[in-house]
Amino acid sequence: MTKHEIECEQALRQIFEYIDHELDDTERTAMEHHLHTCHSCYSRVEFERRLKVKLGELKKDDVDPTVRERIKRMLESF
Amino acid sequence: MGISRKAFEEQVLALLGSLNGVARRLTANPTDAEDLVAETVARAWRALDSLESEAAFRAWIFRILHNTFVSELRRAGARPRLESLECDEADEEEVPFSIFEQMHQPFLLWFSNPEQAFVDKLLRQDLDRALASLPDCHRVVVILSDLEGMSYGEIAETLGIPVGTVRSRLARARGALQKILWQQAREYGLPASRQGREGSKDTPRQATADARVREEKGSIR
Repeated sequence: MTKHEIECEQALRQIFEYIDHELDDTERTAMEHHLHTCHSCYSRVEFERRLKVKLGELKKDDVDPTVRERIKRMLESF
Repeated sequence: MGISRKAFEEQVLALLGSLNGVARRLTANPTDAEDLVAETVARAWRALDSLESEAAFRAWIFRILHNTFVSELRRAGARPRLESLECDEADEEEVPFSIFEQMHQPFLLWFSNPEQAFVDKLLRQDLDRALASLPDCHRVVVILSDLEGMSYGEIAETLGIPVGTVRSRLARARGALQKILWQQAREYGLPASRQGREGSKDTPRQATADARVREEKGSIR
């Protein structure tokens, strides 16, 4: 096994770090190499990634104008 | 170090949506959320000298928001919420629950992906309800990672915990969230995918077809 080869067990342990972009270059390369050859782990990554994207869509950036005005007035008073 | 007053104002206003969004999910009350954000901004201004660099602003002000929330709970004597903010990791499952493990069937790979269809059919209200059901210590890491897009380092800085704890807590939180989503789906009618699993006799294709019918009616429920 080369340094770029990992087994499913290690890939499954690192799935969240992979989708969160927390793996270093060597770890990411090894993970992607494994995903090219293992359909089951690839499907798992796709599942977790889709769920993460769905959760990200819950984020709301709109702020009630009265809240924004309150904070603006507060900032001006500092 | 601190930053200029102008830079402080710009950063606060740029992050106001995120601060307010996280505050709303923590307090579950728009008025309390507004007060929490206002108190956070006031405390941040007073503590400006403790900011190490402008690049650290987001994690720094979110840490103040989180600490302010905790101190407000202490002041109110809200013990159950305080306990909910402290994960007892020793009590948690070693292997987090996975919807994928429940639904994935390798022999169906080339025909369909029931687990992917499950995610695609989740509605905003399904996810909102599941997120709100999580214990606070789990909900916070999911919000900071998946809604706010923070790195593990930023989450660690925000919550005052080691990066390794963020990693393990996030994995457990996602498992807990998936377990709630799975239970919700079963409760509201989406059958389990595998024959014989907890009494379900439905196949993945039936599950997907049933979910599609419910979606056409407007909800996965």
